[in-house]
Amino acid sequence: MKLLAATTRYYLRLTVGLFALASGLLYLGFDWALRNEVEELLYNRQLHIQKQVARGLALPAPAFADNLDRSRRPQPLGFSDTLLLDPVEDELVPYRQLTFRLPPAKAASAPEWVTLRKSLVETEDVLGVVVGVLVVVLALLLGGVVALNHWLARRLWAPFQHTLATLRGYDLQRHQPLALPTPTIDEFGELNQALNTLSERLVRDYESLRQFTENAAHETQTPLAIIQAKLEQLLQAPALQDDEQLATLVGDAWSGTQRLSRLHQSLTLLTRLENHQFAPAQAVPVQLDQLLRDRVALLEPLLEARQVLLTLHADPPLPPLVLHPGLADSLLQNLLHNAIKHNHPGGRVDVLLNRRMLEISNTGPALTGDPAQFFERFRKHNAASDSPGLGLSIAQHICAYYGFGIEYAFTQVGNRHTLRVQFT
Amino acid sequence: MKLLLVEDEEALRLTLVDSLRQGGYVVEVAANFTQAYEKIKLYQYDCVLVDLTLPDGDGLDLVRTLKADGSPAGVLVLTARDGLDDRVQGLDLGADDYLVKPFHLSELNARLRALLRRRQFQGQHHIVFRDLLVWPELAEVYVSGAPLTLTRKEYDLLLYFLANPGRLLTKEAVAEHLCGDQVDAADSFDFIYTHMKNLRKKLQEKGADGYIRTLYGVGYKLSTE
Repeated sequence: MKLLAATTRYYLRLTVGLFALASGLLYLGFDWALRNEVEELLYNRQLHIQKQVARGLALPAPAFADNLDRSRRPQPLGFSDTLLLDPVEDELVPYRQLTFRLPPAKAASAPEWVTLRKSLVETEDVLGVVVGVLVVVLALLLGGVVALNHWLARRLWAPFQHTLATLRGYDLQRHQPLALPTPTIDEFGELNQALNTLSERLVRDYESLRQFTENAAHETQTPLAIIQAKLEQLLQAPALQDDEQLATLVGDAWSGTQRLSRLHQSLTLLTRLENHQFAPAQAVPVQLDQLLRDRVALLEPLLEARQVLLTLHADPPLPPLVLHPGLADSLLQNLLHNAIKHNHPGGRVDVLLNRRMLEISNTGPALTGDPAQFFERFRKHNAASDSPGLGLSIAQHICAYYGFGIEYAFTQVGNRHTLRVQFT
Repeated sequence: MKLLLVEDEEALRLTLVDSLRQGGYVVEVAANFTQAYEKIKLYQYDCVLVDLTLPDGDGLDLVRTLKADGSPAGVLVLTARDGLDDRVQGLDLGADDYLVKPFHLSELNARLRALLRRRQFQGQHHIVFRDLLVWPELAEVYVSGAPLTLTRKEYDLLLYFLANPGRLLTKEAVAEHLCGDQVDAADSFDFIYTHMKNLRKKLQEKGADGYIRTLYGVGYKLSTE
């Protein structure tokens, strides 16, 4: 529910309640005042009549018969309401009446009961007008409130909508703070200022994180390169060539630096993927089938050594995908290598590529554990394996980067592991 | 053969200079952008090896300068940055080749050899090593005058060894050279095993026996004697 609709709803409830109450009170108040007026009038007439009779004059003849009634029989005294037929309009009309006992003018004659009446029709009309006016005013006021709020929503809340739109379109990778304007409404001004500060801090933090990643990548690669070059030089030392044991030692140390440097590259790649540090401008249309063939050709020796048969089915023609060439390469390499690595001699790798998906399925020993965890970092099937176990994690991150779906499935028949990348 | 090495990291620079001088090159060095800029403006080199991240400038600007001056020098880019971004740009600017740090010295030798060969000899060059004669532009190999038929990979492998005579080449370096830099170190032996076996067998059949020595668990060496 919109904030404005919510406030309007409460406002309307209160207004309707107050108006209903006020209308009731007003009705009762008017009713009481008008009746009071009528009663006072009747009472004044009673006094007047009593005075006249006391002076010995006769009762005045009423202009309208209804207004004065005389009776020889006792009547209930005091004020009361009654209905009388109005012969003109042919309907019952409410009257207020006052009955009193008129003592006889001469002692010998019998007492008389006089009833004075006053029509209440005018009073009801007045009440009707008052209540009617109130209802109309209420309706106008409610309509006005709703209309005003609609207008306010467009006008007063415009800066807020603008802020929202800016936030929705905000992209941290552009390295720009929000730079929201300061609207005239204080609250929105404060909000925008807070958001500006927040975004500035975000940009700063992001920038320092990015720089750290870059520096870490650069600064650690350099000493690694030095160690590696020195060890390679050391391997060339004549003394080492004759001493196999020593050569193996240095060789192992050298292999270690190799693996460290690979690990470092993979982690840097993952970090850069997570931080979205691959500029979209570098993406180019990539012919995936061609790239796949190149990659398979490079892996040929490994296939041969592992006695694994690879088949490749690509449906031509395939539309090119716009990807970063390095990432596309890395994705294919990791998926293919994974399929070859976790295979057995005489096994198969079947690669299927069409415009919707890339499917790589391979034979291999059944895996234990949750398939969802296969994409986790440093997840190894064989703990003693030399490879760091980052391949699938990298593949998953690249897929996520381009919005591709990636899923793993295992079928018991033939122990088939299938990794499927959905392009759309 | 005169080279200019532009590298700010001293330890690496010294190692590279050592290795290159052993390979028979005349090597001049520049430790920063300014020095490098002066040298490429003043002297002619056969090849310039440029580190992209320099303390006082971008190595890519050196590549640009060289190309703008129409220099005949070959350009080999050395980069410690994550290669994914810079390789493309470096090659676009006209660099002849790139190497991502950390690289193997043997790989550097091979690339340098190939680069200089492409640039300067235009098919007039041949390599002689003991009983071997190789015409790189024709991709022909002779052992004591008899032609030797090799597959592309085997030939590639032989050229790589010939670029590093007498050097111990680790199996990881050989595998990377052969199959690209994404080879998992753990699989390097599997990658090269068949090719190595076949190459040695073919050499042996033609009488070039024992040219490639194995250092168990470490790598291979093209024996000079």
